[in-house]
Amino acid sequence: MLLETRGLTKHFGGLAAVTQLDMHVDQGEVVGLIGPNGAGKSTVFNLITGFIRPTAGTVLFDGEDITGRKPHAVAATGIGRTFQIASLFPDFTVLENVVASFYLFPRCGFWEALFNAPSYRRKEREIMRQAREVLQLVGLDEARDMPARNLPHGHQKVLNVARALAVKPRLLLLDEPVAGMTHDEIVFSLGVFEKVRAEGITILFVEHNLEFMSLCDRIIVLNFGQKIAEGTSDEVRRNEEVIQAYFGSEDAA
Amino acid sequence: MGIELLGQVSINALMLSSMYILMALGFALLLSIMGVVNFAHSVIYMAGGYICYQFAVVFGVNQWLSLVVATLIMAFLGFFLERYCFRPFFGDPDRTIVIALALIVLLESSVNILVGSYVRSLPSFAPGVLRWRGVSLSVERLVTFIIGAVLMFALILFIRKSKIGQQMLAVAQESVGAALQGINIYRVSAVATVIACGLAAVAGSLMGAINNLNPYMGDQMLVKAIEVVILAGIGSIGGVLGAGLILGTLDSFLPLLLSGSATDAVGLAIVILILLFRPQGLFGHEA
Amino acid sequence: MKTAGLTTVIVLLFALPLLVRQPYYIHTFIITLIYVILVSSLRLVALSGQVSVGHAAFMGIGAYFSAIISKEFGVTPWLTIPLGGLASMAVAVLVGFPFTRVRAIYFSMVSLFGGIMIVNLIRVAKRWTGAAGLAGIPPLTPIEIPGLVTITFLGQKVPHYYFTLLLTLVCLLCLHRLEHCRIGMTWKGVAQSHLVASSVGINEAGLRVLALAVGCFFAGIAGAWYAHYNLVVTPNTFGFLPSIFLVMYMLVGGRDRFAGPIVGTAILVMVPEFFRSLKEFAPLILGGIMVLVVFLMPRGIAGLFDQIGAHRGAPARKEAKNAA
Repeated sequence: MLLETRGLTKHFGGLAAVTQLDMHVDQGEVVGLIGPNGAGKSTVFNLITGFIRPTAGTVLFDGEDITGRKPHAVAATGIGRTFQIASLFPDFTVLENVVASFYLFPRCGFWEALFNAPSYRRKEREIMRQAREVLQLVGLDEARDMPARNLPHGHQKVLNVARALAVKPRLLLLDEPVAGMTHDEIVFSLGVFEKVRAEGITILFVEHNLEFMSLCDRIIVLNFGQKIAEGTSDEVRRNEEVIQAYFGSEDAA
Repeated sequence: MGIELLGQVSINALMLSSMYILMALGFALLLSIMGVVNFAHSVIYMAGGYICYQFAVVFGVNQWLSLVVATLIMAFLGFFLERYCFRPFFGDPDRTIVIALALIVLLESSVNILVGSYVRSLPSFAPGVLRWRGVSLSVERLVTFIIGAVLMFALILFIRKSKIGQQMLAVAQESVGAALQGINIYRVSAVATVIACGLAAVAGSLMGAINNLNPYMGDQMLVKAIEVVILAGIGSIGGVLGAGLILGTLDSFLPLLLSGSATDAVGLAIVILILLFRPQGLFGHEA
Repeated sequence: MKTAGLTTVIVLLFALPLLVRQPYYIHTFIITLIYVILVSSLRLVALSGQVSVGHAAFMGIGAYFSAIISKEFGVTPWLTIPLGGLASMAVAVLVGFPFTRVRAIYFSMVSLFGGIMIVNLIRVAKRWTGAAGLAGIPPLTPIEIPGLVTITFLGQKVPHYYFTLLLTLVCLLCLHRLEHCRIGMTWKGVAQSHLVASSVGINEAGLRVLALAVGCFFAGIAGAWYAHYNLVVTPNTFGFLPSIFLVMYMLVGGRDRFAGPIVGTAILVMVPEFFRSLKEFAPLILGGIMVLVVFLMPRGIAGLFDQIGAHRGAPARKEAKNAA
């Protein structure tokens, strides 16, 4: 198991956003986290990546307890993530966005940067090379000098992924990576994710889009912060509770 | 502590609190309604005091009338301020700061040119001493407190009960939504600025009579006003009363033990700590 | 083209004392240079998204520390000035950890109060800092180049000018370098989105403390240098209004460009001096300039280039080139 949560719980005041969540993602898998709006999916992401502290429970990454670690420390262990909104450096260009994200590897020291040491220049060249590589992977290399906020929405989403790849993640957490994309853009994204997966990177994502579900090995369904189903795409689609969660029971109508 | 001293310091606390609150209310209005951090509030306070001096001492007008005149002049200036200085820079905090600082420079030099910025003495509005149960209390401070309190409550009443007051509350909470509801946010801003400047002028005149008038009197007061607003919590108009009382009491009682600078430092330390651990202040809603 | 312009300016600056003889004007230039360091260091802190409204206080820490150490213990100012910078930086780190917990306008307000409190504490420490000010600060110790010349500073404006100019150029070089290297880029990233920055492994809180520390180091240097030039320091120089004016110099000059603080400080400090003869009307000129700039130049004076020409992505290409 690459990622595991045990009894993960988060209360906001009186509201239970996530309750006793036990889930796991194995090395090399692509797992989808779905559920109606407000089911707590983004909260789970934030709990795993350290942006929110859990009320109870643990998060384990490759056997290591990373519960409650600061977000930058979580990133350093090899988890990259995108955000649902505001996932870019808006004033930077496309290239700068990615270059700025190559903060961890290689690490540049204060003094070598200040004095423009040869070691620093070497690292910067390396970063530039890798940044261009990532941009080519996601097909944004042509647009690299464009201010990121001028990119069309779909391209911005793809840039998010490029940014997240800069931390050399073993696990990628994608929060609604294709929301708002056109059909063509989604098809393109699927191609990118296949490439990412081929690199051996494990993916956990939150999505609503059914076409995207085809990419998953396994789906976990949340409702009201609790896991209500888990299984392959087919299994989940036929699950009674899942149907009720999404479409409501007759009583509630 | 003797009962005499206690009495005097208590009256001082009330007086100081009310003046802090007048300044803080004006500052808070501008902050929550227009998002303007009005650094120029200090010079409006100062200018109000000096104008009152000009009418009362130089022109020989009745001092209470001078107070009213000074207030009206500064209130009118407020109208001008909102229209030509704040409104053009809605939503641009950097430029709002620059225009506020430009105002400081311009107003300060204007007062210097017109009145001469030496330390001036404004005669007491209500000289004399009141004896109450064997304790002598400064009438002036008592009267200042009463005026301050009356204005405070008048303003709160105005905000709660009047139509424009309600609109001010609405804009303070959500200006876009308020505009969509048909509220003329410019009219609301204008009223808020006029009120804020008027209050500052009153405070400046009253305090100018109790202490001296000097060109830098506003700086200290502005800092206190910001402290009160932060302590209360941005967005909490009512909380300003409580925070003002706390700070005024602190600033009246602490100097018995510490020096002036140390007292200020204590007040600042408290506010900084509050800001760090509870950015929404004592009475505010959300960070 | 750009290097030619820059070289011309530097040559002119070095030639200045030959062109302008009056000691009073030289004094104005010296003060302007010191404030250029100050405001540029303020801008460095602002790069990380934190506008400090208490920066003058850190100038004060450097000034008082260097002044007291050199006066009480007889250490040469050449040593105590860097120490002043370090002292200021140490305080910045100390208050930085709690202060950088809050962001944006709350940080500005905390820095405002912090700055005032620092000055109040300076006043409270009367035993060391003197009641209304500290006088009798030792001047820069003379430099002896054996066989050639001895440079004395006491009462001499011209040597002060040249060394201030050198100091300013060195500081600006460092600040420019920091902004355009990876650290500067990281700071700018943190300013744009601390969430995104955290997600790529940037310890954004730590980076912000670093920005504050480095900025305050230079502020301390500037303050200490000022102390040994002026030979007298008073708390008011480092208080509330001076801090706000520093922010103003930066904003009027233009926050987006490196040259912004330089231009803003130069104009706002020097122009009122040249109109000194107008006496009490002189500040009106200052106010007038500010009004002009704020209405006509939204990005400040240095931002005029961005305002007039279209944003062609030139800075971005330079970043890419620099990183290659």
